[in-house]
Amino acid sequence: MANQQEYQRSRPDSKIAKIVVDRDLCISAASCIGVAPEAFELDAESKAILKNTADSVDDETLMMAAQSCPTKAILLFDNDGKQIYP
Amino acid sequence: MTEVKYLIIGGGVAGTMAADTIRKKDSEGSITIISDEPYRFYSKIMLSKPAFFLGKIPFETIWLRKEEWYPENKISLLLGKKAVSLDPVGKIVALDDGASFKYEKLLLATGSSVIKWPVVGADKNGICYLRTLDDVKKIMQLVKTAKRAATIGGGFISFEMADLLRLSGKDVTLIIRENYFWEPILDEESGRLVEKVLKDAGVEILYKSEAKEILGGDSVESILLNDGRKVEAEMVVCGIGVRSENEWLAGSGLKINKGILANEYLETNLPDVWAAGDVAEYYDPILGETVKLGNWIHSQEQGKRAGFNMAGEKEPFKFVSFYASQGLGANIAFIGNIAPLPGRSVITRKYDNGKAIIRFIQSGNKIVGATLINKTEDLKTIANMIENNIDVSDRLEELSDVNFNLSGFNSENINA
Ligand SMILES: Cc1cc2nc3c(=O)[nH]c(=O)nc-3n(C[C@H](O)[C@H](O)[C@H](O)COP(=O)(O)OP(=O)(O)OC[C@H]3O[C@@H](n4cnc5c(N)ncnc54)[C@H](O)[C@@H]3O)c2cc1C
Repeated sequence: MANQQEYQRSRPDSKIAKIVVDRDLCISAASCIGVAPEAFELDAESKAILKNTADSVDDETLMMAAQSCPTKAILLFDNDGKQIYP
Repeated sequence: MTEVKYLIIGGGVAGTMAADTIRKKDSEGSITIISDEPYRFYSKIMLSKPAFFLGKIPFETIWLRKEEWYPENKISLLLGKKAVSLDPVGKIVALDDGASFKYEKLLLATGSSVIKWPVVGADKNGICYLRTLDDVKKIMQLVKTAKRAATIGGGFISFEMADLLRLSGKDVTLIIRENYFWEPILDEESGRLVEKVLKDAGVEILYKSEAKEILGGDSVESILLNDGRKVEAEMVVCGIGVRSENEWLAGSGLKINKGILANEYLETNLPDVWAAGDVAEYYDPILGETVKLGNWIHSQEQGKRAGFNMAGEKEPFKFVSFYASQGLGANIAFIGNIAPLPGRSVITRKYDNGKAIIRFIQSGNKIVGATLINKTEDLKTIANMIENNIDVSDRLEELSDVNFNLSGFNSENINA
């Protein structure tokens, strides 16, 4: 669990409560940035990180961004803490 | 003959995303994907990344769709079959097993294949390429017994393979024709920066070298170079480039250059035939030119757009794409169109005495592409600059001045 960034989402209409980026899996292909540039950016180590505007992104776009990751480094959790992707 | 509403040739990222998108727009229309590979949609990108290659993550991670996803979405997937001809009048695609499909709408998403090494002896065991899951399975098998490995060609595949082979404990020799790595896509300074991390990792690089013959019995033992030197290796990964195989479409009337020509809607010149992904050579309305690009996000987004358009929407494909990768502690990204064509100039931006380098490719008064070494965090900012069509003609100093924040270019544009 060490090398993960967690982001708690606070958007009432959202079924996605938590977003996690596994930094060991991330290979900076940056497809998440292509799909949801409001939610993700690359940091100085070239790993995907969550932006503070991530709440403005709707669930469908977030799911597409997670699904687009070619190394499945983006994990999504619902309000009950259940992993919904991958 | 099977009749289908949407026929998709190629089950990679472009073809799969198109099917996914069509299903969201049209819940009933029949969809068939034909793939000549024996596998459902998987991550090509993962093939050359350490976590997968070195077995640190489960093999199953490679699959990007569950097997059930296809029937659940009423998408029929035909594996191990190759499309061999297209009749655009009868709207029929024939397969190599004699079967044929009559389509209402057709998507060509056939990607690209490796260029085979045209050297005497290149058919020996131990010579491999890296494009498909079967290719990487073969490489993983060879890695078990080989002691020495060579990689041929200077590009992403060689860079990533050299990393993986070093991590697997092999002696690695990288053989390139050029004077420095990635010439002429990169300038010498950026190329040397990439080389440095390879050399620090213990990779030996031979420049201006070309193979004359592969020596050995059934299996490769060494590579004889033009200058008489011999490089000993039990395995050779060849990354000398890719090309789209469009021979099967000859005679169909489809307009083809290096790729299948398409307009900004990804429509080809034939009625009800679209192209998307690595195979498409399409008119890019942002760059204002016809380009053929090869990267994941581009293929994914084009697949989606083609899917929407096939299902009845009609919108242009507008997206500045990029290829980003990392290895050996270095990160590299290519954005937009980086081809060093005549009439283009390059503006260089150097950080920390050249530990990180951005090069902007300028065409006319705007930026059409950029190469980033160790500075990928600026990827989106630069993609936006390209998309916003910023006029940089009298701002070249700002581009090269690291004290000038690049996001300034975009915020001014929004205010304007
Ligand atoms: C090892 C490797 C690493 C990569 N790493 C990166 C990276 O880090 N970042 C990045 O952006 N990009 C990367 N890429 C490039 C990226 O994978 C491609 O740009 C992308 O896969 C192209 O998608 P596509 O759907 O257009 O084509 P493909 O994924 O090539 O899919 C096309 C499919 O169509 C099939 N096909 C072809 N002709 C026929 C026919 N006649 N009949 C039936 N089927 C046919 C092919 O066999 C193939 O399965 C990498 C590629 C490889 C090989």
